[in-house]
Amino acid sequence: MKRARIVIRELTKTFRDDGRAVAAVDDVSFEIFDQEFVAIVGPSGCGKSTILNMIGGLVTPTAGAVEIDGARVGGVAPPQVGYVFQKDTVFPWRTVTRNIALGLEYRGVPRAEVQRRVREAVALAGLAGFEDAFPATLSGGMRQRVALMRTLVVEPQILLMDEPFGALDTHTKINLHAELLALWEARHQTVVFVTHDLSEAITLADRVVVMTRRPGRIKLVHAVGLPRPRNVIELRESDEYAREYGALWHVLGEEFAGRA
Amino acid sequence: MSERTRVLLWRLAILVVLVGAWEWLTGIKAISRTPGLYWIDPFFISRPSLIAKRFAYLAGGQVRLSIWQMALSTVQSTLWGFLVGVSTGFAAGLVLGRNDRLARILSPYIIAFNSLPRIALVPLITMIFGFGLLAKVVLAWTIVFFIVFFNTFQGARSVDADLIHSARFLGGSDRQIMRTVIVPSALAWTFASLTPSISFALIGVVVGEFLGGESGGGLGFLIIQSLGTLNAADMMVALIALGVIGIVMALGIKQVEMRLLRWRPEYRGRA
Repeated sequence: MKRARIVIRELTKTFRDDGRAVAAVDDVSFEIFDQEFVAIVGPSGCGKSTILNMIGGLVTPTAGAVEIDGARVGGVAPPQVGYVFQKDTVFPWRTVTRNIALGLEYRGVPRAEVQRRVREAVALAGLAGFEDAFPATLSGGMRQRVALMRTLVVEPQILLMDEPFGALDTHTKINLHAELLALWEARHQTVVFVTHDLSEAITLADRVVVMTRRPGRIKLVHAVGLPRPRNVIELRESDEYAREYGALWHVLGEEFAGRA
Repeated sequence: MSERTRVLLWRLAILVVLVGAWEWLTGIKAISRTPGLYWIDPFFISRPSLIAKRFAYLAGGQVRLSIWQMALSTVQSTLWGFLVGVSTGFAAGLVLGRNDRLARILSPYIIAFNSLPRIALVPLITMIFGFGLLAKVVLAWTIVFFIVFFNTFQGARSVDADLIHSARFLGGSDRQIMRTVIVPSALAWTFASLTPSISFALIGVVVGEFLGGESGGGLGFLIIQSLGTLNAADMMVALIALGVIGIVMALGIKQVEMRLLRWRPEYRGRA
């Protein structure tokens, strides 16, 4: 048994809206193990992003706690954690290379090493030829690649991803799935990946956590039985994939339909 | 013919027509043979040919204070006022924009001072700083500071929270985030205030020169002196010089802006 890197215990978040208390996340507990890829799926408004924000220390829980490597998360970003946002958070005033270099610059890495690592990252992400381009000239998929490489280049052990491919078209999305999996196979970061796209969750994750509608509770934790390494294209034609999808869709569909 | 030349030619045509009409209309006598009676009296608005003559005289060596010296003095005061105003306004905008409590505490004072007509301060500033360069710079500063301050303040407040979060996850300290996220993000707002700032700096300086007398000279002094001698031609020389100075300085700012904001799509390919 691998050790638990992220422990989520009785996590609850209540927001105030017009003086009324609205429960976004209600008594959620689960563990994420070292080198594990976990996806959290659920209908919009189920509090899945709120859970991720609490893991990252962006939102303070109303009750319960998150522990990363045994230390309770509170207020500040834990140093071993990288975060990829759904929204485009590439800095528009920096070129591709300078965006990717940012985290290394913050950490005071020597210039020569910054250049070397950024060059590798650019090549890895297929961004060669766009080194000096400003983000405004890039497509949405390329910008999200830059955001991903910017996060990975500082080599975080834990990766939190909040619907990072949510705004992209299916084709771009599948390409990025393949790239993300290849990068993950190389380093085996512990990943928490939030999405509303079930096929994305099954394609990428070892385990899928299905959330209920608001207030968000855990409906089901499902271990995906697909072998690795996975080929994201061929995977979708396989019977195992269809079976996994069917089983989860049955559960998630209830939540989307609002019968729960 | 390219669009650029076409626009340029139209501009030139308008200039020629306006100057020509001015010259022609101010030459028509109301009653023939009676001297000094015009439909449009050049005594008040002068004539282009007269202005050119006065310009040549003022630019020449016989005068104690040439037009060049006066223009230089005005430009110098304006640039100093602009630089001091922009740098202090920018710094104050960043600090207050990122510090809600301080902004709340100081806001009534800032609003009160900003609603004061700056012209009303001229006598006080003259009393304190005299008639020289310093007084004009201070006057320009009191105007420019607030324009740049309010813009930068808005810019610093409206920095996307997720950009700051991203920077924090990448390991940025408060100071690093200020330098790499908040300053570049606010700069786009600050730049929007620079063109009006240079115009207002010029206004402040000219008003200062009205009072400043011959010490320090300046184009504002030429205007006031011309009022004393009822010399419309000299006044026009000063006004035209101010117009040219205004255009050149605004173009200069545009250049810097295009260079620093070249990441914005609207500047792409033009810098």
